[in-house]
Amino acid sequence: MKTFLLSALLLLGCSASVYAVQEGSSVPGCPAALPGNNEKLDFGAYKGKVVLVDFWATWCPPCKKSMPFINGLRNERLKDGFEVVAINVDENTEDALRYLEAHPVDYVTAFDASGECPRVFEVKAMPSSYLVDKQGKVRAIHLGYRDEDQDAIRKQVDALLGE
Amino acid sequence: MTFFRKLRLARLRQPILLCALVICQGCTSVAPWERGTLAKPEMSITPDPSLTGLRDHIFSSKEGSQGGHGGTGGGCGCN
Repeated sequence: MKTFLLSALLLLGCSASVYAVQEGSSVPGCPAALPGNNEKLDFGAYKGKVVLVDFWATWCPPCKKSMPFINGLRNERLKDGFEVVAINVDENTEDALRYLEAHPVDYVTAFDASGECPRVFEVKAMPSSYLVDKQGKVRAIHLGYRDEDQDAIRKQVDALLGE
Repeated sequence: MTFFRKLRLARLRQPILLCALVICQGCTSVAPWERGTLAKPEMSITPDPSLTGLRDHIFSSKEGSQGGHGGTGGGCGCN
């Protein structure tokens, strides 16, 4: 019995933590750094707004392709209470900063070179975006990006803004 | 006594080797957000797709055979 308990404890100790963010779960905190002043990203600051959390990297072509659309949607719906928070997961943050300098966006980009944020969200694909409602609950998860997805994303954002 | 010991060790040799192979293998899973290095052009199996296509074409023509690399044509080198 003692051996069994010890083995179980050992197995538990060796197992990786599971944080999977699913539709309906609260948006978790994660240690992404905001540019400039070493501040950490705080999703609590966006309570009362519909937020699209977008994971992207410079080596991911569909991520870059989605950015003009996301930026346009954000600017269209900003006054209605919509915001976009991008989390860049490049191992070298300089790459992302260079890209953003050449292709600027109007929304906030946080940087997580350690990969802790995608680990916490358990990101399944690049890009991945999480649509969060005004109460801070994840309501939709988009994996990948195709131009055909635009209408669906726009409709989901509008539906959440109307709640 | 030593005979039995040797026998037991001989029986365990294969499972131990198998375990060592499983443990020592270099395979690991790469998370979607960790593929930055893998996405670099130099990490591609065929870093220069045009050159690879041309070489495949020449190979198919000269050898009069094809396959294994997605080459097309009947060996005449005309397509």
